[in-house]
Amino acid sequence: MIQDDFDRLQALMASRAGFRLGRDRIHLAEHRLAPVARREGFDSVDDMLASLWAKPVASLGWAVIEALLNPETWFRRDRTVFDTFARELLPAIARARPEGLVRVWSAGCSHGQEPYSLAMAGLEVGANVEIVATDLSQRAIERGRAGSYTAFEIQRGLQAQTMLNWFDPADDAWVAKPALRAAVRFARHNLLDAPADAARFDVILCRNILSEMDPARRGQVVDGLERRLVDDGVLILGADERIDADTVAFRPVTGRKGLFVKAPSALSRAA
Amino acid sequence: MDVRTCLIVDDSRIIRKVARRIVEGLGFEVDEAADGIEALSYCTGMMPDVVLLDWNMPVMDGLAFLRRLRTTPGGDKPKVLFCTIETAPERIAEALSAGADDYVMKPFDSEILHSKFSEVGAV
Repeated sequence: MIQDDFDRLQALMASRAGFRLGRDRIHLAEHRLAPVARREGFDSVDDMLASLWAKPVASLGWAVIEALLNPETWFRRDRTVFDTFARELLPAIARARPEGLVRVWSAGCSHGQEPYSLAMAGLEVGANVEIVATDLSQRAIERGRAGSYTAFEIQRGLQAQTMLNWFDPADDAWVAKPALRAAVRFARHNLLDAPADAARFDVILCRNILSEMDPARRGQVVDGLERRLVDDGVLILGADERIDADTVAFRPVTGRKGLFVKAPSALSRAA
Repeated sequence: MDVRTCLIVDDSRIIRKVARRIVEGLGFEVDEAADGIEALSYCTGMMPDVVLLDWNMPVMDGLAFLRRLRTTPGGDKPKVLFCTIETAPERIAEALSAGADDYVMKPFDSEILHSKFSEVGAV
């Protein structure tokens, strides 16, 4: 891949996805784009990119963007968060809601391990929880919806007993049981887009997304999350992520890594 | 801090070697046994903190070892992770009900072992 193509890829990722494609990712980009080029019928990555720059086709552009995003995730990643969610957040929020309904948004859910981990935690304590899972990548959403994981994926973060409770073996994969799949609604969504409806959530997880974003776009994304979160809701970021440089709308919860609540100044003045 | 120990029980020298490298990377002192009898005699001398246990082995298999271990004085202490090529749900359930703390399907990698060790509270 020539430097000029990589520069254009960086610009594409930043403008459409807000994603910061580091200089050190040039070989990774080449490696990830090779199967896309084959799938789309090009002889090489160079040919595919030349075509994309000459005639920007949206579907090809998104196929390229999706391939360059970081899909790395696993079940119960930073597992403390899922224990906090099930034992503290769910009961506390449910007590304050009609019929105990808790609405959760897994923003940037990749292949679905995070929303399914939330769903298992919620179902196991008998909570009334509604989980929406979104990702920029349509392919990731489709994988999440299928709920099918390799033996490597299913074992990363899940105890065998939990796996047996919620997944069935099928050929070389483990597939989420219908009750688990029914607990999560998957949809494609770009975090750079302003909220298009009035849906609001009690808990929003957006983990290990902001740290990979172009700093110039992070504030806009955090604003969008803030508008989607109810005033007494909780925002959960990756264990080591910070947003104090991006917003004054949130403050960290003391002693709870990755948890944020709205700062008093950000609360809506409904009354 | 006390040194934590892990006994790797597998009749394959190669599997023991691969597992040893990963488990040492998690900060454990590792010993090896090639079958259930060797593993039992090791455990009567000193209980390890974790046992990584193959199922099919000559002399005494993993399930027989586990049942004997759990009735041995102090044998309830070690975290036992079954680690085998068996992937049928009923076999996994059998291993768990015999007293295994968790179950690893082969092949595994360091990320899987790391996450399994954390889920049972060994690291």
